Amino acid sequence: MRKKLMKTALVVISLTIFATTVLLAEPLFQAPVLISSAGQSADVKLVGMLAKRAQIENIVELIATEKNLDGIKTLIVVPGFSSKGLGAAGVSAADEINRVKALLAAANEQNIPVVLVHIGGNARRYGQSDQFIEEVAQYAKAMIVVEQGNEDQLFTKIASEKNIPLTLVPKIVAAGEPLKNFFK
Amino acid sequence: MSVLMKKNIIQTIIILTAVLVIDIIAALDLIKMHHPDKLYPSDGLSEIQYLSNYNSRLKGGNGDTEIYVFDSGKPGASILLLGGTHPNEPASFLTAALVLENIQVSTGRIFVIPRACNSGFTCTDPFEGCPEYYHIQSKYGERRFRFGSRVSNPLDQWPDPLVYSHFPSGQKLSGFETRNLNRAYPGRENGSFTEKVAYAIMELLKKEKITLAFDLHEAAPEIPIINAIVYHEKCEELALMAVMNLEMKGLNYAPELSPINFHGLSHREWGDYTDAYPFLMETSNPIQGRLRGKTNEDLIRYGKSIQYQQAQETGALRIVYKADTGEPLERRVGRHLQGFKEIISVYNETADTGQMFEFSGLPEYDEIMTNGLKEYFQ
Repeated sequence: MRKKLMKTALVVISLTIFATTVLLAEPLFQAPVLISSAGQSADVKLVGMLAKRAQIENIVELIATEKNLDGIKTLIVVPGFSSKGLGAAGVSAADEINRVKALLAAANEQNIPVVLVHIGGNARRYGQSDQFIEEVAQYAKAMIVVEQGNEDQLFTKIASEKNIPLTLVPKIVAAGEPLKNFFK
Repeated sequence: MSVLMKKNIIQTIIILTAVLVIDIIAALDLIKMHHPDKLYPSDGLSEIQYLSNYNSRLKGGNGDTEIYVFDSGKPGASILLLGGTHPNEPASFLTAALVLENIQVSTGRIFVIPRACNSGFTCTDPFEGCPEYYHIQSKYGERRFRFGSRVSNPLDQWPDPLVYSHFPSGQKLSGFETRNLNRAYPGRENGSFTEKVAYAIMELLKKEKITLAFDLHEAAPEIPIINAIVYHEKCEELALMAVMNLEMKGLNYAPELSPINFHGLSHREWGDYTDAYPFLMETSNPIQGRLRGKTNEDLIRYGKSIQYQQAQETGALRIVYKADTGEPLERRVGRHLQGFKEIISVYNETADTGQMFEFSGLPEYDEIMTNGLKEYFQ
């Protein structure tokens, strides 16, 4: 009887310690989040919707600059080139690259971690899209990528070289769960 | 008369006769292209209107195109579906034709214009070597449809200015674009031929209080805006939800926000000047591409081109192109149809009762890919 009681107590204590550890575990990243584009594709809006659904406190700012980082704990950047998006924003590709570089550098200086989220698949790969991906990847602490965009293993290679976690998801909608988990 | 003179006269007569015969053949060919393709609307059709109802200056001319109206009689949303803005984009016309030949509307009403740029169906673009017609199998035999030009026939609007100044923005484009319906909105009641057509469509949007307006297009596989849904900022959430839902069904569409400062296009001007939520959808059409090989009816129908396979391998394409499957009309029509249905479905989710658009009779993308287009054309 005594042995049984002791075993039960041991199990309860272990479970309590485990649960406490999990509950008190620091999330990978913190809110509030600034979500911005690198290349002005509309994918940034989709990520904003996913963040909203995951109840992550966020601001979506397509043409974010250093001043938008005030009060921000995490920067999510969604790379993907869109000529229509650039036209809508009234900026050239060169202006956009400079803005993104300055934003990332400022985030880095302020110790604001950067998360790269690529959901555009094949349509937002190669050519100028890859230029934006490479800029963002330099600062990324984690990546969430829809599989179709990684057919040539570009993101796998980046993750391996930089030793950062890469979460591959089959569809845009599936990116919501890992995004939520980053902030749990 | 000398022998030499007689010989010259005979030669001249022979040459002139040959030229006359060729001219007559060409003229008859050109006249044939003015005959509209026969369409067979479903029994849900309420009436056929004409675009001149919305701009009387079009009456009786090549701009006076048919509007197929399907009115359930039950209060609901009013929808506009435009095909054939660019008659060299066959999936655009064919999707609108499939809709009007199959749709049954139970709530609300829809206006289907399969040949928005009717004038463009009466000729092909010079120097492109495109065929004038393509054929598809239907339930009851072969159907033939015209393959037209990107812009209005120069017989309807000529000459082109050196520089096209868009009304009212003043935006400057190449003079050729003056005959492009999708650079002419909002148009002018008494403007150029193409502007009059654009004006009439705008009037339809306003007078019929259109809720959702669709403009179907195609584009070359190598251009950036492909397999896309272009939307006005006021319907962004609707467009993005539809993109996500379509992805769940295995169809990827790139969402593209309409640029505020690019004027004349449906997705910009319909949204700015009317209460309608505009959507422009693009599919991939190899016969429009600069990288294409032989330009013939097969390329329209099947979209197979070894040159595009080579382009795929060099990373020049924005789509996933497979030489064995190509980009057949079935896939392109299926994508347009699925995009159209999904946007309406997302809209209906949040629409008030009495503001929905409900219908049946239109196949799913998978059904078109399995059954072919034959099942859905009479």
